[in-house]
Amino acid sequence: MASSTTGEKKILTLKGGDNEEFILEESLVLQSELLKNMVKEERVSSIPLPSIKSKTLVKIIEYLKKHAELTPSNKEEFKNFEKEFVNVVLEELLDITVAVNYLKINGLLEFCCQAVADRIKDKSVEAVRKIFRIESDFTPEEESEFRKETPEAFEGDLDDTTN
Amino acid sequence: MERCGDFVQWFLPDMSIKILMCLEDPSDLVRVSAVSTSWRQFVIGNGLCKHLCLRRFPDISSVANMTEVKNTIVPVVSQPEKSSEWSSLEWDHRVYAFMAQGLSNCTRKDCLIDAILASSTDNYPEESILNTLEPSDRVGRRASYWSSRGESDPTVPETLTYKLISKLCLISEFHVQPFQAYFQFGFPIYSAKAVRFRVGHSNVKIDVESDNGHESAAAQGSLLDKIVWTYTSPAFPMEQENSLQKFKLPEPVLCIGGVLQVELLGRVQRQEMDGQYYICVSHVQVVGRPLLPAFDVEILDESGKWNLKYYPKENLCQSRTKFSEGESSSPRLRSFGSNLRGWEQMILNTLLGAGAVVVDDDSDEELGGLF
Repeated sequence: MASSTTGEKKILTLKGGDNEEFILEESLVLQSELLKNMVKEERVSSIPLPSIKSKTLVKIIEYLKKHAELTPSNKEEFKNFEKEFVNVVLEELLDITVAVNYLKINGLLEFCCQAVADRIKDKSVEAVRKIFRIESDFTPEEESEFRKETPEAFEGDLDDTTN
Repeated sequence: MERCGDFVQWFLPDMSIKILMCLEDPSDLVRVSAVSTSWRQFVIGNGLCKHLCLRRFPDISSVANMTEVKNTIVPVVSQPEKSSEWSSLEWDHRVYAFMAQGLSNCTRKDCLIDAILASSTDNYPEESILNTLEPSDRVGRRASYWSSRGESDPTVPETLTYKLISKLCLISEFHVQPFQAYFQFGFPIYSAKAVRFRVGHSNVKIDVESDNGHESAAAQGSLLDKIVWTYTSPAFPMEQENSLQKFKLPEPVLCIGGVLQVELLGRVQRQEMDGQYYICVSHVQVVGRPLLPAFDVEILDESGKWNLKYYPKENLCQSRTKFSEGESSSPRLRSFGSNLRGWEQMILNTLLGAGAVVVDDDSDEELGGLF
């Protein structure tokens, strides 16, 4: 077993979907249950991740680094980083969420899911459709029935913005 | 690989469930189910409204047995290809969406609708429990309050039992105003040392405090014996002050069954005239959220099993088709994708009132009755 006290850090290569390579310390990827198992069981030094876009991988690695540096004293800073981390266009957020789920990075997965849910919260139905680019396939009669059935859900201060 | 933003369509179901369960307000989920047919199918098919509702009001799951509901409130399935499994899911969705909203709506202070009985009354009816429903401590020229009988032992407790406005209430606060005898020397305030609240249900019919005299202690005792208490609050110390004292529960409590009891623990004021300890209360108020009037709860037995009855708008009593579990083994939900128009039509039918609904032969009378 390699000892961590020698100062010699293990290096690992991740290969994104567009064949871009990312070289990072093995200790970082251990936050991913999937990669941890691969590293521990198969003793690989290069892991291809064809289903994850490089752009997404860059983001996730950025998170892993920040998270590894997390200490009680920079908690606030980390929170701000997390906030900014999910402040991206929807497609990117969904890509990240899928990748994080695949890589099994707990904690970040919950955070991403909440970030997606936050884009639904308190929004009007129309706004949700615009944000997620969904065409309604209900008839006008059905729509008005939904409103009649549970009017409270469609009233009040609903957010119509698509931010 | 261009993906649109419709994650419900292209994410694994577990992921979409995870995301949608991050929502806290059931209204969000109701709106999600109105976005598109696939979103609606997803929300209903996975019973998300129910999960969210149970997470918010865990008490519901301990008592509510939705199977019971299914047995009594039956969506009518008229077309052969419509699966009863789906209609029961659809039903759950509607019930829980309603219930969550019914409960999350406006809070009101007048959740007590009637008095059932007091553990003792000094002078009846002048000092009846009925007076505690009246906010003011005087009505016209008369003092309005309830008074216990006198006791030489200050530890003897008293109880005031009330009927709540709805059999399903989410209660958050209790207000009690002790009575100050403004007509006695020194203006004594007959408060209690502490106060505690219980909520519960009874499967027997309970008469509210009537105007024709005292009930015997034995009769009162046996009446209270028939009430099953499901929640007891912590004891709150009471001030010896003539004000509406507010006691906020640590967590809102779901009261199923509609009976509430105020327990007055310990006496502090002795009446000079006879040296006895009394407790007097001028007003009791309960703050909470009653269930929408479209619902009613029927307590089945002492174990706390209950039926949730739902009276959708006009059609109070319609056709009764018994739901049987084994009937029509339906295809799994996912296969509904190929048959969207079918179930959609069914939803429409249900919504338009072709199907749905209430049950139980004597349900009409029960609507107006007490317990």
